[in-house]
Amino acid sequence: MTPRSFRLRGNPTSPWRHIDWALASAAVAIAGLGLLMVYSATHRRLEEAGLDPYNFLKRQAIWTVLGLAALVITVVVDYRVFRDFAPVVYGASALLLLAVLSPLGSTSKGTQSWFQLGPYQLQPSEYAKVGLIVGLATYCAAHRGDLDAARLGRAIGIAALPMALIYLQPDVGTVLVFVAVMMGVLLVAGARPRHLVVLGLVGIIGVIGMIQIGVLKEYQLDRLGAFLDPEDDTQLAAYNQDQSKTAIGAGGLTGRGLFKGTQTNLSYVPEQHTDFIFTAVGEQLGFLGAVTLLAIFGLVVWRTWRAAILAKDLFGTFLCVGVLAMLVFQIFENVGMTMGIMPVTGIPLPFLSYGGSSTVTCFIALGLVLNVHMRRFT
Amino acid sequence: MTPGPTRLRLGILGLVVVSLFAVMLARLWYLQVLDAPMLQAAAERNQVRLVPEPAPRGRILDRHGRVLVDNRVSNVVAINRALLRDRDGVLTRLAPLLGVAPDELARRLDDPRFSPYKPVPVAEDVGDDVVVYIREHRRDFRGVVAAQVAQRAYPYGSLGAHLLGYVGEINGRELEQRRAQGYRLGDAIGKSGVELVYEHALRGEPGVQKFEVDSRGRVLRSLGYRPPAQGNDLQLTIDVEVQLLAEESLAQGLAAARQTFDREHKKFFLAPAGAVVVLDPRDGSALALASNPTFNPADFVNGIKPELFRALQDPASHFPLNNRVIQGQYAPGSTFKLMTSLAGLASGLITPRTTILDSGTFTIRNCRGRCTFRNAGGRVYGRVDLVQALTVSSDVYYYSLGNTFWQQRERVGDRIQQTAKELGLGAPTGVVLPFEARGRIPDPEVRKRLHDDNPKAFPNGRWFAGDNVNLAIGQGEMVVTPLQLANAYAGFANGGTIHAPRVATRTIDRDGRTAQTFEPTVVRRLTLPAGARESVLAGLESAVTNPRGTAHGAFAGFPIDRLPVAGKTGTAQVVGKQDTALFVALAPARAPEYVIGVVMEEAGFGGQSAAPVARRILEGIAGLAPGAVRTAGGVD
Repeated sequence: MTPRSFRLRGNPTSPWRHIDWALASAAVAIAGLGLLMVYSATHRRLEEAGLDPYNFLKRQAIWTVLGLAALVITVVVDYRVFRDFAPVVYGASALLLLAVLSPLGSTSKGTQSWFQLGPYQLQPSEYAKVGLIVGLATYCAAHRGDLDAARLGRAIGIAALPMALIYLQPDVGTVLVFVAVMMGVLLVAGARPRHLVVLGLVGIIGVIGMIQIGVLKEYQLDRLGAFLDPEDDTQLAAYNQDQSKTAIGAGGLTGRGLFKGTQTNLSYVPEQHTDFIFTAVGEQLGFLGAVTLLAIFGLVVWRTWRAAILAKDLFGTFLCVGVLAMLVFQIFENVGMTMGIMPVTGIPLPFLSYGGSSTVTCFIALGLVLNVHMRRFT
Repeated sequence: MTPGPTRLRLGILGLVVVSLFAVMLARLWYLQVLDAPMLQAAAERNQVRLVPEPAPRGRILDRHGRVLVDNRVSNVVAINRALLRDRDGVLTRLAPLLGVAPDELARRLDDPRFSPYKPVPVAEDVGDDVVVYIREHRRDFRGVVAAQVAQRAYPYGSLGAHLLGYVGEINGRELEQRRAQGYRLGDAIGKSGVELVYEHALRGEPGVQKFEVDSRGRVLRSLGYRPPAQGNDLQLTIDVEVQLLAEESLAQGLAAARQTFDREHKKFFLAPAGAVVVLDPRDGSALALASNPTFNPADFVNGIKPELFRALQDPASHFPLNNRVIQGQYAPGSTFKLMTSLAGLASGLITPRTTILDSGTFTIRNCRGRCTFRNAGGRVYGRVDLVQALTVSSDVYYYSLGNTFWQQRERVGDRIQQTAKELGLGAPTGVVLPFEARGRIPDPEVRKRLHDDNPKAFPNGRWFAGDNVNLAIGQGEMVVTPLQLANAYAGFANGGTIHAPRVATRTIDRDGRTAQTFEPTVVRRLTLPAGARESVLAGLESAVTNPRGTAHGAFAGFPIDRLPVAGKTGTAQVVGKQDTALFVALAPARAPEYVIGVVMEEAGFGGQSAAPVARRILEGIAGLAPGAVRTAGGVD
């Protein structure tokens, strides 16, 4: 009887033997569902406009392929290399954020947040999430998970720069993602509990203060206001959320069937292929479908959390925590928004929402986690 | 593996994540399982729009099937103020298209009578090309709608306006009353005349178009269509030719009266208004119902213009919207002598051969106050019997009779009033028309009640002999509508059958079959005293044919042999106004097929102003080319 290990060829600690296939296939499954949902939410409108009904599907498919390519590249390079090049990664994303505020950037819906590259758009604030995760993880790992007040201040400073640049676009939703990533990493990286409490309080007071002194633009208040007072349906944001809730509820237990959602297919739900893609799932696939999707998301989050624990070093742990905080916050905020328990902000649902930068960023982040996981023995 | 403290912190992070997922699952359960039925219904409502399509109303026909009220299709351009953006721009672009000034558009758009949520019509009878243009350039005309609507059309213009009535948009009160019948805001509804009382038959069944729409309200596909069902046609008893004769003759008669000098008041007669009724006494059918001044029902299509409506309400225009046929209340004057005669014969106080010496005045014995009454014009007729009294309209004969009723009241009671009421005076006739007045037949109790209710207007609460004397010649507090008067004569003419006058015979469905029949309605059958009809008819005939007759002058040259006519003139005094001229004609005299009642306000003697109007109508009925109405000489 031959021991199992004897059949292994080559080095048993080779990273390629430790790829987390469960995590990878879960993410790919979500992306596949995303393609289907994007198609279901857009084909009818495109058809009506006399355009190719597969237009959005094709573009999203291209982005998914590009994302997978980015994933492979991220996985091939040992994640510790990113630590060595952290200043470059972080600096490059900050520069892009600065550039997008210049006349080079394009404006849509009052937000100057992307570059127009031929038929494609590049949204630096998405990629900057990776920059922040790498930067913060590098800084925190350098101090072995011991953050006193001064280090904490510097760590916050690292996060504050991209946040400030994004706030200038302005894109408050993405700023909140950065806050979540920062809080997640700082929590695990050893910030003092009292500092964390103070940070939380400052955050709450900060939001209230911004509203009070009118820093938030009117539409931002509208969205928050609609969340706080959902009966005031004169506001567009409230209408959006109302239609979204209606769509999800109309799905019922088993859904109305693929391509049969009237709310989704008749464009009642706004931004239904991007920020409100979850309504398409809820309406067409029902409670069972939505729970399945959340379960797959749960799998992704669990495997990421597990990778954080198994990581060989603190840098790997913090990388995974950053990705985990990003994913969880985006999932909760996005799904919560479509169900009316979170305010409306323009945050995409990872792997599912239509959008190139967001898709590629999610695959890169996934690559980081896979990378940390597979190299836990080397 | 990570160090201990980090693991603890990762554990905390894991707890946070698990609770966030739990929140999402709970919310999902709430929305998709607990709230699903309600939200599914909301999604359904979202998606389906019901667009009602009004049904064309039924047509209104005369007794020979000639169309009095029709429908035509009209393109209407309307502006929905709630959806209007860039008001100035839209009006500037729209004005040249419609061929009007932008100011005019703005004025119509600001019409305060329209709800802010309903489109305000700004142009009617717009060309098809304009409609197409507006629809193709929707972006330039946000808030502008172009639609085809069926509108009322009146081939005979204002003919029969009061009888037909007009159609308008349903108001809040009507909507409240009729919501159960499926009326909706913006629906058309009959506002007066037969359009109102036969609304249920004329209205039809609105159609409905069921659309699936997207979030912007864009129609994606039709989910079904029920076409509107046009209302049933309504056939009237009216004869267009007689109606036309009646209206023309009345208008001419009023114009002629205005050219006549009133010696009593030292001015020309005002003759502002009048009414003509033509009934078939055999079944109570109305052949013509004319009221003057009149209006044009077409003005109400698309909503009447405010200045026009103000003019119709202006006292100086004498309230053209009032249907004087059923709403005008007039003292009947000597036309009431029919009732007094019948009451006298029925009570046995007179026979046809009873004579009275008419010395021109009548004095009540043992009386205080006004005790002496004179014939109109101070005439003296000598000894007169019933026929002669009717021929010359001897007031003294009836004064005396009225006084006798009072003296004998223990035995005969209020027989005059009773006869009047039996003939249908003092109560609605039951004609199927809206807003009918009841008139009033005074007696001692009515007098007392009027006085108690309003002592200022009726200072005298007691009834005296003089009141009976006045009553006998149709004066005093008695008022009747022109329709009541004509209908009472019709009941007499047919031997005692009182009908509820009938204006419609049937409704006809879209296949031309009778949907509903309106039979003649008998209200009461009277037994006239033996010989009464013959002797009174003789008197009425003599009033026209006898050279001493009060209507003889008016019928001078009329082919009596071809169409024998009987009639009674009346001249009623009205406090503070010129006399009301009345005339009721029966033809053919011995077996009447036509009863014509003419009442003209402030127009002088009945024989002078009213009888010529009836004459002209009878000329038309007799198949002659009717001449112009000229006032005749004579009194009463």
